[in-house]
Amino acid sequence: MEIIKSYFSKKQESSSLALFRLGFGFLMTYSIIRFWFKGWIKTMYIDPSFHFTFYGFEWVKPIEEYTYILFLICGISAFFVGIGYKYYLSIITFFLSFTYIELMDKTTYLNHYYFVSILSFLMIFLPANSSYSMDSYLSKKSFKYTPRWCVDSIKLLLFIVYFYAGLAKINKDWLLEAQPLKIWLTTGSYDLPLIGSNIMQQEWFHYFMSWGGMFYDLLIPFILLYHRTRIFGFILVVFFHIFTVILFPIGMFPYIMIISSLIFFTSKTHKKILDFILKPFSKTLGSLKQINTVNIRREKIALTVVTIFFIIQFIFPFRYAFYPGELFWNEQGYRFSWRVMLMEKRGYTTFKIVDIEKGNSFYVMNDEFLTEFQERQMSFQPDFILEYAHHLGDHYKELGYNNIEVYADSYVALNGRMSKRFVDPKVDLLKEKRGFNNKKWILPLNEEINKL
Amino acid sequence: MKKFKYTLISLFSIFLIIACSGDSEEEQDNIPEFDRSTILKNYAENIIIPRYNDFKTDLDALKIAVDDFVANPNSVNFDKVHSQWFNAYKTWQHVEMFNIGKAEQLMYFNTMNTYPVDELRINDNISSKRYELSNANDWSSQGLSGVDYMLHGVGDTKEKVIQKYLNDSNYGDYLKNLLAIMTKNTDDIVQDWPSYKDSFIQSSGNSNTSALNMITNDFVYYFEKGLRANKIGIPAGVYSGGNTLPSKVEAYYSSKNSFQDISKDLAKEAVIASENLFLGKAATGATGPSLKTYLDYIHAADVNKENLSPIIISNFQKAKQAVDLLDSNFVDQINNDKLKMLNAFDKLQAIVVNMKTNMLSLLSIQVDYIDADGD
Repeated sequence: MEIIKSYFSKKQESSSLALFRLGFGFLMTYSIIRFWFKGWIKTMYIDPSFHFTFYGFEWVKPIEEYTYILFLICGISAFFVGIGYKYYLSIITFFLSFTYIELMDKTTYLNHYYFVSILSFLMIFLPANSSYSMDSYLSKKSFKYTPRWCVDSIKLLLFIVYFYAGLAKINKDWLLEAQPLKIWLTTGSYDLPLIGSNIMQQEWFHYFMSWGGMFYDLLIPFILLYHRTRIFGFILVVFFHIFTVILFPIGMFPYIMIISSLIFFTSKTHKKILDFILKPFSKTLGSLKQINTVNIRREKIALTVVTIFFIIQFIFPFRYAFYPGELFWNEQGYRFSWRVMLMEKRGYTTFKIVDIEKGNSFYVMNDEFLTEFQERQMSFQPDFILEYAHHLGDHYKELGYNNIEVYADSYVALNGRMSKRFVDPKVDLLKEKRGFNNKKWILPLNEEINKL
Repeated sequence: MKKFKYTLISLFSIFLIIACSGDSEEEQDNIPEFDRSTILKNYAENIIIPRYNDFKTDLDALKIAVDDFVANPNSVNFDKVHSQWFNAYKTWQHVEMFNIGKAEQLMYFNTMNTYPVDELRINDNISSKRYELSNANDWSSQGLSGVDYMLHGVGDTKEKVIQKYLNDSNYGDYLKNLLAIMTKNTDDIVQDWPSYKDSFIQSSGNSNTSALNMITNDFVYYFEKGLRANKIGIPAGVYSGGNTLPSKVEAYYSSKNSFQDISKDLAKEAVIASENLFLGKAATGATGPSLKTYLDYIHAADVNKENLSPIIISNFQKAKQAVDLLDSNFVDQINNDKLKMLNAFDKLQAIVVNMKTNMLSLLSIQVDYIDADGD
């Protein structure tokens, strides 16, 4: 008890949170601008006539042209977080708008979007504006220290992301078959300095990268935590993530992880970096009244929320254990669990509508309802298949078909295996309810991947 | 802290041992990189360019026949136009899938072979002398399918068709205009390929915009939509609640008005053209690097696994057999026994499944036009 009490009274210089806030805010601003300029707001949220929703969040939908305003709000709030202006309002706005965007259509789900969402939630409870911020400038007050647990909570979240990503790599395909890296590296075409173009085809390299990737994910949090290996760890972080940038179309994730990993350095280092970046403002910053430690409003409540948050984070990725069958095949409990780049999975799924009254049937052309991106994601993910089947049911009922059944003709190929039938073709999907219950209509893979 | 350090060091040693042991074991068989540009070279030099040249020759011949027919609409000239049209339509089956480069810019395959034909629109165009047909609404009033209507649809016998051309010069003008557009676009593409070829072959990377990914996507897309759905599935009623739609077959008017039953010939040609592309087979019969040889290369690294290419080849055999069983008149086939059409559809479907799941996955080719981050 005493240890816990003394831990929570420990302090760390405020520069750590300030630098993190700055990096996070500006990276997010850039992310939103990048997304906007790539035209993805239109192609992913406005063009599709139908959106795949998360169970329980069906009410979260794109708001037509106003979706742009949503992104604008999100981008502005990210910028305000970066400069530390009206920080609490900004980070709450950012968390809500960003999370809303991610919930609008699960076709676009990425682990790193989820990471951004929960990280911004955590940041609501951290006084990241106590120095090097507009708030600090406007109130003429700069705090020297913040509670240490605030900085550690970010480290803990990063620890979870990396470590769980490492645990997820301990599976048969990744370690014993070097899949899916074997497929990706063999078919890629890269001419890398030092490595060259030939090495990517070599089997030993596939295994080396698979095992190396697993050890990297499992160990990197420890390497970063320990002060003697920290610089080496950070070089590894940069090297590893730049490597993934070269190999895969992975977006902003590597940059987010590189910037986030800076949090493991000391406050002194953070202060040096900040003083260097903010040199033009050094006079203004120096003129602020220095106050010792920031007081977190309702710290007890904040701590309780943060504790519950982490308990959930620790447990949530293991929810797959409640489902029978192969996790990689059924994907029940697959998302929100830091399972990154583990599968080369393709599907081909078409739907048959059976009109009971007329006694005939017909197939659906998916491109009348879905974008190519949506069709690709739908074709191998059971919850998408079910939601889409229900959408088709609703659509044809509206057209006056009263008594219909919907069947899926579905094939999926996973990590180099030949494709197999995925959905039981005898099951009327309209009779299957959406939800967290086990999807018995998925045909088994008859192989275990997730358990070694 | 010391304990932690030791754990760290020991874990690292394990990692290194594993990494190194893997290294030494496999070093003897050094697998060379598969040079994807060889596929592109074979496709461009031995398939795409010669096939386009063949098509241009047939289309030019059709244009001459059309000119003669319009100048002198008589039975002999009609027969010439008809047989040239059939030739060109058959050769067309070998180029429709190459919707890349100039062809993509020109919306080539949309303007060449969109069917069913929009009769109302085409008649409106004829009477109002509208010859500018670049609007998407005019895709179904031009091209080889448009010529089908102009030759076999404006009257239900040869005599009636010829009479139309004799009575109203607008028909001849419209037909000549269709050929003018087709030959212009085809010439543009044929002239573009020699200069486009180099950048096509060099674009051998594995990004969404690289030539191999684009051509493979075009191929799979064509096979799924242009061949399987348009030629067989849609007219057989696969997508329309069992209501067959015989008016949606390719070259409908030629069959419907009993000029010549050619839908089956065209479908068969299209399956052969697709098989040839998969096998890397030129018109001369010579084969070169292709999707098949690429799959074989991938398989060579993992010989314990099933090889996909023989499976796809046997899929093609079955599909060709199923198409062979069909009546040469698809309209009759659909009206009399649509089950045989559905059987052919299923056989083509099997190829689509294998290409879209297994082939694209093994070759790690992303589905086209999807520009998004992964994770």
